[in-house]
Amino acid sequence: MSKREPYDEAELKAMVHRALNRRDFINRSAMAAGSLALGSALINACGGGKEAPKGGDTTAAVAAAGGAKQLHISNWPLYIDAKTVPDFEAATGIKTTYTEDVNDNNEFFAKIEEPLKRGQSIDRDIVVLTDWMAARMIRLGYLAPFDDSLFPNKANLVPGLRDVSFDPGRKYTIPWLSGMTGIGYNPKKTGRELTSINDIFDPKFKGKVTMLTEMRDTVGLVMLGQGKDPTTCTLDDAKAACAKIKQARVSGQVRKFTGNDYAADLAAGNIAVAIAWSGDIQGLAADNPDLRWVAPKEGAMLYSDNMMIPKTSTNIASAMAWMNYVYDPAHSAQIVTGAPYLSDVVGAGEALAKIDANLAKSELVNPPESLRARLHVFKALAEAEETQFNQLFQDAIGA
Amino acid sequence: MAGIAAGGSRRSPFAPYLLVAPGVLWLLFFFVIPIATLGKTAVSAQGVPWYDGFARAYTSYGVHFFRSFRYALAATLAGLALGYPLAYVIAFRSGRLKNLLLGLVILPFFTTFLVRTFAWKTILNDSGPAVWLLVRLHILPEGGQLLNTTMGVVGGLTYNFLPFMILPIYVSLEKIDRRLTEAAQDLYSGPWASFRKVVLPLSMPGVFAGSLLTFIPATGDFINAELLGSPNQQMIGTVIQNQFLQVRDYPLAASLSFVLMAIITIGVLAYARVLGTEELA
Repeated sequence: MSKREPYDEAELKAMVHRALNRRDFINRSAMAAGSLALGSALINACGGGKEAPKGGDTTAAVAAAGGAKQLHISNWPLYIDAKTVPDFEAATGIKTTYTEDVNDNNEFFAKIEEPLKRGQSIDRDIVVLTDWMAARMIRLGYLAPFDDSLFPNKANLVPGLRDVSFDPGRKYTIPWLSGMTGIGYNPKKTGRELTSINDIFDPKFKGKVTMLTEMRDTVGLVMLGQGKDPTTCTLDDAKAACAKIKQARVSGQVRKFTGNDYAADLAAGNIAVAIAWSGDIQGLAADNPDLRWVAPKEGAMLYSDNMMIPKTSTNIASAMAWMNYVYDPAHSAQIVTGAPYLSDVVGAGEALAKIDANLAKSELVNPPESLRARLHVFKALAEAEETQFNQLFQDAIGA
Repeated sequence: MAGIAAGGSRRSPFAPYLLVAPGVLWLLFFFVIPIATLGKTAVSAQGVPWYDGFARAYTSYGVHFFRSFRYALAATLAGLALGYPLAYVIAFRSGRLKNLLLGLVILPFFTTFLVRTFAWKTILNDSGPAVWLLVRLHILPEGGQLLNTTMGVVGGLTYNFLPFMILPIYVSLEKIDRRLTEAAQDLYSGPWASFRKVVLPLSMPGVFAGSLLTFIPATGDFINAELLGSPNQQMIGTVIQNQFLQVRDYPLAASLSFVLMAIITIGVLAYARVLGTEELA
């Protein structure tokens, strides 16, 4: 048997990606250095910072409530702007380590499951995972409940997401951002505009296509292309979709099944078409301004990624301070400037219009009604059903 | 010497057992117990017969096993073709450069396996230098690719295990008494005949060891296929890793590990029979 040291592929990919996004990286480091040196002194002197819009004062109060002044966050790549972390550190004095090491829900879950099962620390105070994985984390009892007294801005969550089936009242999880799954492509490589999901099966793109390892995204989108609705799909629909995916894999149409790492391949020009998350493409524009994301005419998938606190975290007060901070509409809008996804904070749209009027009109952050009508949420799967769907999908992708 | 002899007369009958105890304990803790645990996991699937994992190893994953052995064999042969001449040059022709050359062979180990394989992703990129060159030379068709192909995976395996091929062959070549080749030449053998009849047979232990050190880990490798292959190049190591870490079907993963171990053990025994182990370097 081979004895290879265990490795952290997601982290490595994130590293490679950051290297690719050098401009962004330099920005980020400069900002961090600048705000650390000046920001905290200034803002402490001002006693909370009057430029911070509503919520600024409560954030400072929350931070004063005690707990270690440090915070470790794991999130997905391309999912934040460059200012939020240094601004938060300056406003609260909480030393924050923000790591982009979530590449895939299953992959990340596999890393944290064993320690959490044994009650050992995973060195993370907040992790960000998709709805269905959030449901599993709650079911397994791996999460610490929120301390709502430190989270007054929780009231800013959009009403439609306050009582989701897996977490009524949002006691354990709250959306970071929501996103859409559609088609990302490089018009230079495809030679034409893409509008349909079924364009990914065009033999012209053989070997230049990636799909996501996220079952609900890939299967959901392929179902839409077959005229089925993932919100109400049956096992037979899943079989049909998986058969199509398998055929595309065997024929060599699909080059890879990926997590967030499709982004690097798309930017490098190794692939022409990818099943892609809506906000990633803009983050790649620095490397490749041609890239485009489209919500196919048949429809796109909608999901939320949620912040949650592992039960072994010892910095719960800091974690609550972070959530309270990002649930301020102005702060949420700031995040969206770097990660053009859908904010679930009431008032973030208006706040964004003040920062960047063009972006606020983009369909990525503010989908028009015509697009909203085409968004689908994958149906909630019972445990046994989930196993069946997963087995079909694993077989289809040859894992 | 006297001391040892004197000690011998007082030697307790348990002494031999005490002497082997550390080795036996080591084997117990780091081999027998893990293997037994793995065995228990393999047969503890819920709701299916105990042999389900083993059955699926044949029905669902036969193709992955077969592919792994094919790729490992290709990487071993390629490693031999590249490694033997290099080891030969280092052992016989490098003069003062010998230590430098040996150092260069080992140099890649200063960075981790994973980072080196990642680097190949950049080199073999569709818009990278390797594809560019091969397309210009008309070896690859226009729009051809190396990354995410069988070539990519076998190339990665060859590269990663090449030092394990070179070093044992170098050691066995180095040990050869130079007077034997001189004798062969005195007996009117040309350079080719003295290589074929003297050097090659005497270096076989190195070839044997090098092939095993390449073939066995290459078969179980999961990083090259994952990074440099496409879904159609998944090797059994990738499947086992996936089953352990992503799908988390531990019984199936453990069964697959067992089958892989069994096949490799049988294969190595057969290979040893053919080439002989008593001369193993």
